[in-house]
Amino acid sequence: MEECIEIIQRGEADIHFVHPDEFRKFVRDKKNRGLEDKLMDEKEAVKKYVKDGDYLAYDFSSLTRGPQSLIREIIRQRKKNLWILAKFTLLESVLLAGAGCVDKIDVGFLGFGPYIARKVQEGAVKVYDYSNGSVTYRLVAGAMGIPFMPARDLLGTDTMKYSGGIVVRDPFSKIPVALFPALNPDVSVIHVQEADIYGNARVYGPTVATLETAMASKRVIISAERIVETIEFREHPNWTTVPYYCVDAVVHAPFGAYPGGTQGYYEMDSEHYLKLTSIKTEEEMQKYLEEYIYGVDSHDEFLEKKVGVKRLRELIQNSQILEGYR
Amino acid sequence: MEIEFTETEFMICNAARLLEDNKTIFVGWGIPQVVAILAEKLYTPNIVQVFEFGAIGPQSRTPFLRGTMGGPSNTYRSLQWCSMNLAFSYAQVGYIDYGMLGAAQIDRYGNINSTMIGDDYSKPKVRFPGSGGGNEVASYCWKTIIVMAHEKRRFVERCDFITSPGHKLDGKSREEVGLPAESGPFRVITSKGMFGFDEGTKELKLIGVLKGLTVDEVLDDMGIEPLVAENVVELDPPTPQELKTLREEIDPYGLIISKGAKFKIEL
Repeated sequence: MEECIEIIQRGEADIHFVHPDEFRKFVRDKKNRGLEDKLMDEKEAVKKYVKDGDYLAYDFSSLTRGPQSLIREIIRQRKKNLWILAKFTLLESVLLAGAGCVDKIDVGFLGFGPYIARKVQEGAVKVYDYSNGSVTYRLVAGAMGIPFMPARDLLGTDTMKYSGGIVVRDPFSKIPVALFPALNPDVSVIHVQEADIYGNARVYGPTVATLETAMASKRVIISAERIVETIEFREHPNWTTVPYYCVDAVVHAPFGAYPGGTQGYYEMDSEHYLKLTSIKTEEEMQKYLEEYIYGVDSHDEFLEKKVGVKRLRELIQNSQILEGYR
Repeated sequence: MEIEFTETEFMICNAARLLEDNKTIFVGWGIPQVVAILAEKLYTPNIVQVFEFGAIGPQSRTPFLRGTMGGPSNTYRSLQWCSMNLAFSYAQVGYIDYGMLGAAQIDRYGNINSTMIGDDYSKPKVRFPGSGGGNEVASYCWKTIIVMAHEKRRFVERCDFITSPGHKLDGKSREEVGLPAESGPFRVITSKGMFGFDEGTKELKLIGVLKGLTVDEVLDDMGIEPLVAENVVELDPPTPQELKTLREEIDPYGLIISKGAKFKIEL
């Protein structure tokens, strides 16, 4: 008798899916296991590793340790037709959509404010709804080299209906269980407190999905507040969040999470954040992008001309809690 | 004596009184954070907050800092910093007692909508941020508390979009769709009252109204007719101690607590 697993429901979403063997071969052939200096500026990193049409993921939020300088560089280079993973995000998705970089968004949390809501209402970007947990499990599967992750999220909801998940009858317990397809982004951008020139990276504070995102992605760009010697990792190997061989480029980016904060370094800039979240119209968005992103050549110039030493000093001064971040 | 407070203050205090000490609570951004901090200060000193991005047991600093939930102030002195998949796994395996969520719409069985208003998913009339971690909270926590403003349009027979599960999903029980047994919505706290769910039918049931309001006044402001408990209790307004703690210690700038209509009650 032929037995098969009963499929109870199929979500409608298109999915970005990479066969586990294709991903393995990519890792075998394209990921460098040599300890090589990968330090470069953000312009070179984004030029090399972010292509039009890519699936892009990023880690943590725009308020804390988000990869903002890299997101701004992606916008500055006017990348097109990206499909992005918006998990636990606030402003990255908003800015990328505002700059016309994005066609599709897999949604854990869409992003904040009236601008991105309008983009979806108008159908200008296509969304596929999941939840923060289920998209993270997709990355976990991608990071493990397996085709899907079973979990008990989204069951019975419309979110499941519009997601890329399916519901099957679990052959062990016989209860319905959701299967979420592995996600292997083309590229991910991650901001950390410390990295060495090879890409070993260390995060202090909660991680969301730093390691899972890096392991699951074909290309990984790390930006770091500080570049440290490799001995720092060898002395405290428990604290290595991402090992070097997952990483393709290392960018030294002090204030890389601005206008968000980075634990142990500086607090978020609430005024700049408010300026961003209050953007409603296309005109306001384009004005913001012109002034703060297109109008400067680099992250350094952005900090120098658009933020200024006085403000940066205040943000450092506001960051007085160090417990756990050293 | 006359006491004045906002809808939000009432909801926060009412929610804080519901929690139990030595239990865990999955806390979302904003109001739930303030509820947990108030409960910790006044009623349940050993309540353990859990944040979805991977903070277990933080002793959040006050004044409450809005926005940077993942930053040093809100995740201060945690017992563990971990990843999101671990935080949700703690809930999926059964360690998290309470969850707390907001909602744009709620229906008779406690299903909630935080995704969109309208009948066309591809062209929503109004689009919200979506589930975030809400679906996991409502799916996994043993008891979920929903906190929302009491407005007619928010109570519907069937949510325009079910983001997170209640007790019955288009006629099916939680167990039938594969959700963890014996979990689900526990209370709905609004700016006018409090609801539970009938043990048998799992339908929304009015169990309390804010002191000074009648049952009919509360029901009139609902788009559906809920069950009504035999003895609807009177819910106390915020106490002077609760208000002092909220206004002086936790949220002195009124970032959260000043929102919503103001009530005046003669005590």
